[in-house]
Amino acid sequence: MMQSQQPYTGQIFQPTQAYTPVTSQPLYGNSFEDEPPLLEELGINFDHIWQKTLTVLHPLKVADGSIMNETDLAGPMVFCLAFGATLLLAGKIQFGYVYGISAIGCLGMFCLLNLMSMTGVSFGCVASVLGYCLLPMILLSSFAVIFSLQGMIGIILTAGIIGWCSFSASKIFISALAMEGQQLLVAYPCALLYGVFALISVF
Amino acid sequence: MAYHSGYGAHGSKHRARAAPDPPPLFDDTSGGYSSQPGGYPAPGADVAFNVNHLLGDPMANVAMAYGSSIASHGKDMVHKELHRFVSVNKLKYFFAVDTAYVAKKLGLLVFPYTHQNWEVQYSRDVPLPPRQDLNAPDLYIPTMAFITYVLLAGMALGIQKRFSPEVLGLCASTALVWVVMEVLALLLGLYLATVRSDLSTFHLLAYSGYKYVGMILSVLTGLLFGSDGYYVALAWTSSALMYFIVRSLRTAALGPDSMGGPVPRQRLQLYLTLGAAAFQPLIIYWLTFHLVR
Repeated sequence: MMQSQQPYTGQIFQPTQAYTPVTSQPLYGNSFEDEPPLLEELGINFDHIWQKTLTVLHPLKVADGSIMNETDLAGPMVFCLAFGATLLLAGKIQFGYVYGISAIGCLGMFCLLNLMSMTGVSFGCVASVLGYCLLPMILLSSFAVIFSLQGMIGIILTAGIIGWCSFSASKIFISALAMEGQQLLVAYPCALLYGVFALISVF
Repeated sequence: MAYHSGYGAHGSKHRARAAPDPPPLFDDTSGGYSSQPGGYPAPGADVAFNVNHLLGDPMANVAMAYGSSIASHGKDMVHKELHRFVSVNKLKYFFAVDTAYVAKKLGLLVFPYTHQNWEVQYSRDVPLPPRQDLNAPDLYIPTMAFITYVLLAGMALGIQKRFSPEVLGLCASTALVWVVMEVLALLLGLYLATVRSDLSTFHLLAYSGYKYVGMILSVLTGLLFGSDGYYVALAWTSSALMYFIVRSLRTAALGPDSMGGPVPRQRLQLYLTLGAAAFQPLIIYWLTFHLVR
């Protein structure tokens, strides 16, 4: 069994004693300065987040199918919180509704996209795309803080923003999953989901 | 990413890769540390150091590994149970749609009187998917129509100032119960009439879900044009839907080899189809009249 019996010296957690310098240092070294930065370790990459946000904000720009390869939920979380915060500014404390609806909506879209596409899709990817495309809705709810959206202009603005969100989301889904001829079919459930969010901000 | 293994079982595996003959570490881990020469303690050491630094507790790593294995086991179990009840491939057939099919099918649901050929096309005894055959049933339209109906009911009640989130759930569950009961009644009728057909449960679900399109149109017309508009739209969509159901089910219920079976059985099938069709307007009226006052 054991090669040599050594008495227990009680020095397990003494790294300075056990560590002997070797030429090949491991990548994440064992001193405080050599550790990777916190954001890199957490997987939050601000450049990617910014690129994905720009893709969402330009509805006419052709989406690259590979941008959704790494599913990043940090951006969508920030956007959901920002949406709830703008609703709070308007006096509506409805964080629970926002989270509940987004959870149910993501689950429904996940089931639908898995049934409609040839290749499957992971839940993280669906949640990430739907969260990023929530950004124009934040614009709508910040409008609702200042102006009331219940007039004709409000209805037109709401319809426009819903169309913008669902168009971007369906564009990213189509390019990431290589579904052809189904963009309107994917855009319609997204429009229903964002319509519910718009209902929360308007009424 | 450096995988930080802990002591105990995982630690021994890590060290087994690094050194040719590592001692088992369950008995005396300090012996394993100080007895080996050269670079051997180093990977173990900075593993130890990193674990100590990041988690400070070797048991947490074991717990994490155990938890992730439990999670993947649970996911496999859920997949297995789901595949036992619902065949995902058969379900995928009903969702293989594209925009042109959906547009034409919606037009057909509103105005079916000029459509000539109602046969479902087969290729080598396998029905063609909805992308390639307009007469094939699909489940995308019924699902979207159901969800749109529930949201529209919520909005209609909100306009009448009778909205609350519980009412939305009530509408949704009422409509769902009616769909389930209708599908069960149709299945029972098909079983009693001993019809040998290709109509699976999903087919019946699709055909009974098409009425939600008519319901949405009636409610929208009622909201825009008042009670008269609602009754006109109700009459139009009911008759269109009845015609659609009768023409579709008459050919679909018979299967690929039609004109089979004795005459009384065919008459029974015809009565069944007519009964199902006549039931539709009643359901449409029952589920929508309280939204348009």
